[in-house]
Amino acid sequence: MNDIQLPAIDYAALLPMLIVFGAACVGILVEAFAPRGWRFVIQVSLTIGGLVAGLVAIIVNRDLEITTIGGAVTVDGPGLFLQGAIIILGIVSLGLIAERRLERGGPFVAEAAHAANSDGDKRQEREPGATEVFPLTLFAIAGMMLFCVSGDLLTMFVALEVFSLPLYLLCGLARRRRLISQEAALKYFLLGAFASAFFLYGVALLYGYAGTVSLTGIREGVLQSEQSGILLAAGLALLAIGLLFKAAAVPFHVWTPDVYQGAPTPVTALMAACTKAAAFGGLLRVFNVAFETTAWDWQPVLATVAILTMVVGSILAVAQTDIKRLLAYSSVANAGYLLVGVVSLNGAVGSSLFYLIAYGFSVLGAFAMVTLVRDSEGEATHLSRWAGLGKGSPLFSALFTFLMLGFAGIPLTSGFTSKFALFSSAWDSDQSVLVIVGVLSSVVLAFPYLKVVVLLWLNPPGEETPTVSVPSMLTRAVIFAGVAVTFVLGVAPSFLLDIVADAGPFLAK
Amino acid sequence: MSLLAQGALLAADNTVPTGEAVTFWILAPIALGGAIGMVLARNAVHSALLLVCTMLSLGVFYVLQAGPFIGMVQIIVYTGAIMMLFLFVIMLVGRHTRDSLIEVLRGQRLAAVILGVGFAMLLGTGLARGVGSVTAKGLDEANANGNVEGIAKLLFTKYIFAFEVTSALLITAAIGAMLLAHIEKKPGEKLDQKVLSRNRFTKGNYPGPKSGPGVFATSDSVATPAILPDGTFTERSVSKVVPARELTLTEARPKATNGNKQDGEIR
Repeated sequence: MNDIQLPAIDYAALLPMLIVFGAACVGILVEAFAPRGWRFVIQVSLTIGGLVAGLVAIIVNRDLEITTIGGAVTVDGPGLFLQGAIIILGIVSLGLIAERRLERGGPFVAEAAHAANSDGDKRQEREPGATEVFPLTLFAIAGMMLFCVSGDLLTMFVALEVFSLPLYLLCGLARRRRLISQEAALKYFLLGAFASAFFLYGVALLYGYAGTVSLTGIREGVLQSEQSGILLAAGLALLAIGLLFKAAAVPFHVWTPDVYQGAPTPVTALMAACTKAAAFGGLLRVFNVAFETTAWDWQPVLATVAILTMVVGSILAVAQTDIKRLLAYSSVANAGYLLVGVVSLNGAVGSSLFYLIAYGFSVLGAFAMVTLVRDSEGEATHLSRWAGLGKGSPLFSALFTFLMLGFAGIPLTSGFTSKFALFSSAWDSDQSVLVIVGVLSSVVLAFPYLKVVVLLWLNPPGEETPTVSVPSMLTRAVIFAGVAVTFVLGVAPSFLLDIVADAGPFLAK
Repeated sequence: MSLLAQGALLAADNTVPTGEAVTFWILAPIALGGAIGMVLARNAVHSALLLVCTMLSLGVFYVLQAGPFIGMVQIIVYTGAIMMLFLFVIMLVGRHTRDSLIEVLRGQRLAAVILGVGFAMLLGTGLARGVGSVTAKGLDEANANGNVEGIAKLLFTKYIFAFEVTSALLITAAIGAMLLAHIEKKPGEKLDQKVLSRNRFTKGNYPGPKSGPGVFATSDSVATPAILPDGTFTERSVSKVVPARELTLTEARPKATNGNKQDGEIR
């Protein structure tokens, strides 16, 4: 009677995730047993080793297309591509997390339990930062990888929590300006918990509608269900709120500037690149697999959200005076462009994936450069402090200018090719209104980027212009990767476009 | 909100046994009242206890709807463990600690109430319409081998990966609690009893209790310092806020009280 049979588990398909989860668990053991002086070196090599091994496993799996564990995990082309993108962006952002030369002890606080500005806090100012950040980062990345290949909403929810919880923690661990960092962590945690509740409520309603939480089951349920369509609509709306929160779409974006500004810059970079990829991976999968057949119902709503996101993000970016907040609003606007890809359904999956890679590398490079501009108080992020940096540090300013032009979408940068690919495939999917709004808003969005460029080169240096610190090889590698990929994808995007074209559509059976 | 829907569900379905309906209509107001009271209560302990009320009622609902496992888990884990932890924390922090009631954003509370009620009504009416005319089905198949067995089967087959991945969540939570709350003592920072008492007394502190004011003193005023056995005054016996002073004879004289024959007479 009670013969419980374990469904077939394809361990090869799960291998990339298992490797990263395993590396994270080993990292926790290292924290417990390795001597203090060795921990940093062991953790960095373990983290990079685990991520590279995961990447190799993904490359070995590249042609895999399988649904395993009774439908809980769906490994397909876009899923594997997203996993690979998250790992690569994770490896790059690790260079910022492990940086220890810019600031003695690294960007993370040694013991977060000391109250900010207390005696204990002053004593630990020059101590090496907590090494727990590495396993936490690995957990976050593993959660994001699972999020992109979840075959049912329950697994997706667990993955969402697995990658959110470490991020909430990492946000509060800044070495400098600890109060604003803790505020960011608390804000992100409370709002994130709220969004998770919406997600769960949506899952419950969709279960009531389709009788299952699996994405393909919901797809079939749409055609067969005898239940009232209200359940489907309400469930979809609540589920979308949970997902759009992570993707930072208007009107669920309000946390973005505060959290991006308060979090330690390496974590901000991780969130801007990897979390964005994961959130849109989830959005693309949910809408392409589960709700493709009801597209007529939700497309107008999501299109409105996309328009709002593009317009509000780009207009508010113009008014910012802090470089991290500026990049945060620019990330909101970019979420809007990616939403155009989501609304365009299957036609734009490939170009959305391309966009995620291109944007991820540019934004990693930009945040890496933000960590370099420093004064005695730490990073000098106020834009007025950046005036005239071009005089003293021409190389820095030239590279930053290039990245800003990339964000603005100037030809010969990845910003141009990715926007072009995305908008043209959206145009082919008959989303012309969205494309027009997108192009107009990216014109508006070019203004704040160019404002920074003018500030760097043409404005006279202020009284106390901060210095551009010389980083270690790690941050240099991040900046190099960001600038190089922005350039290469700008002039020769075809190889990556081929890869995303090969990735094909989401597996929907 | 889901309660409203459940109410509609039960009311619409004629096969609901009387006992179930009666229990529902008794507990539903308690659950809702508890939830509303939790938000409105000023005292954190009252809030927590009202939430316990709501959760207990929900647990009973789950049991009523043939989900004994989730009902018991609700009561044991949520009400029993988590809410009691909550109460401990509130007691530790101090139950008099209150939120600041000043609105930082103008009109935020009003807007929140309006939007919250609006959202509740939207979902409530939507759900009532969506599931109001539906007869529940599939329950017997799901509970065919028993409710607990059914859940176990799902948990350890289809959702096995999600179940295992939850451990990552728990590890993260434990590490996070350590990171945010644990201060490591440096070697030499942790003091033993000997060092502690040495630190306490090498300054020349007097280890015994302080002598009270007026002891061996020339008057019984609290402002008069005590006289130590060696005849010196000890300032330690006088409160810091009262300046020590020598009193004149008239000031130091016992004041007239009932039973004194005459003001100022010394007996």
